[in-house]
Amino acid sequence: MLRFGRVLFKEAGTGISKTLSEILVCPLSKQPLRVCEKTNSLISDSIGVSYPVVDGIPRLVPSNGKIIDDEEASNSNSAVDPDAVKNDHQRCSS
Amino acid sequence: MDNAIMSAASLHRTLPALPGQHSRPVFRSKTRLVRCSNERQVLFDRIAPVYDNLNDLLTVGQHRIWKRMAISWSGAKKGDNVLDVCCGTGDLAFLLSEKVGPTGKVVGLDFSKQQLLIASSRQHSQSKTCYENIKWIEGNAIDLPFPESSFDAVTIGYGLGNVVDRLKVLEEVCRVLKPGSKVSALDFNKSTNPFSTSFQEWMIDYVVVPAADIYGLANEYRYLKRSINEFLTGKELERLALNAGFCSAKHFETGGGLMGNLVAVRYGYIP
Repeated sequence: MLRFGRVLFKEAGTGISKTLSEILVCPLSKQPLRVCEKTNSLISDSIGVSYPVVDGIPRLVPSNGKIIDDEEASNSNSAVDPDAVKNDHQRCSS
Repeated sequence: MDNAIMSAASLHRTLPALPGQHSRPVFRSKTRLVRCSNERQVLFDRIAPVYDNLNDLLTVGQHRIWKRMAISWSGAKKGDNVLDVCCGTGDLAFLLSEKVGPTGKVVGLDFSKQQLLIASSRQHSQSKTCYENIKWIEGNAIDLPFPESSFDAVTIGYGLGNVVDRLKVLEEVCRVLKPGSKVSALDFNKSTNPFSTSFQEWMIDYVVVPAADIYGLANEYRYLKRSINEFLTGKELERLALNAGFCSAKHFETGGGLMGNLVAVRYGYIP
């Protein structure tokens, strides 16, 4: 258990590997993701959402995403409404 | 459905509360169905600790054979990039890892954080260096976080029967498969043979649920029987795959009709 914990800590400390970030896209927009080492998260610039990386595992369920503007402004942890993000994305794309 | 054993003494007899609800006793209404994605995620998080070894117990080790067959049907080979959707605690991902070897890559995706933590723990507790080619992703099968044409093979083990929107999942799987590549989906079989159906129901009622009850998870496994009733037959799954964009689809029954394996090909392959 202790060895497992150390392994997870090491994985979390190194964040997400470049190889992994290259094969992933935003689950909603399907656009490339940018690694943010400061916050240990994956950023979808196309829709302004960040997805956390926890214990070395990217959390790319749409509801795990946080809208970047809201997070920076209020330091809140409001979750993303996937339908709202999808509607925003579609409006931006049209 | 994959499950692992943990000490009965460490299991809580009261289920963790769902969002917006108070803690409830284990034995809730038998007629209540687990419908929405959130509830299913909570269910799989809850049974994660008792996932893996129960399969060995309940199937007398047969599930290992069915899973190896599913890998073979997927066409995965050395050096391939492959995806296991609804990977759970990683049984299929580990088999894929051995198949594609150190030059290949395996991605295991699941919406249950607890299942993925167990998968990651199993990966790091193994001495096999080839398992280093596995990456775990928490994600939803209906919104796969991969570009188009990413994978040489995709497997789904006991997942397609548990997702809310099977068509959307198959459409997404088709999207991420390279042209000419296959998906291999193993799951319980909804048989049109009355004898097979009766035998399956008998197995669940008199073998699976009592065994799960020992660990306080009888209701979770009663869900299994209700969810099988909502499955599609082999023919219906074949049609669904074609509607999702696959150019060919075939469903094979295994395990004496208890299990079934759908194999579908994205356009570009001529058998």
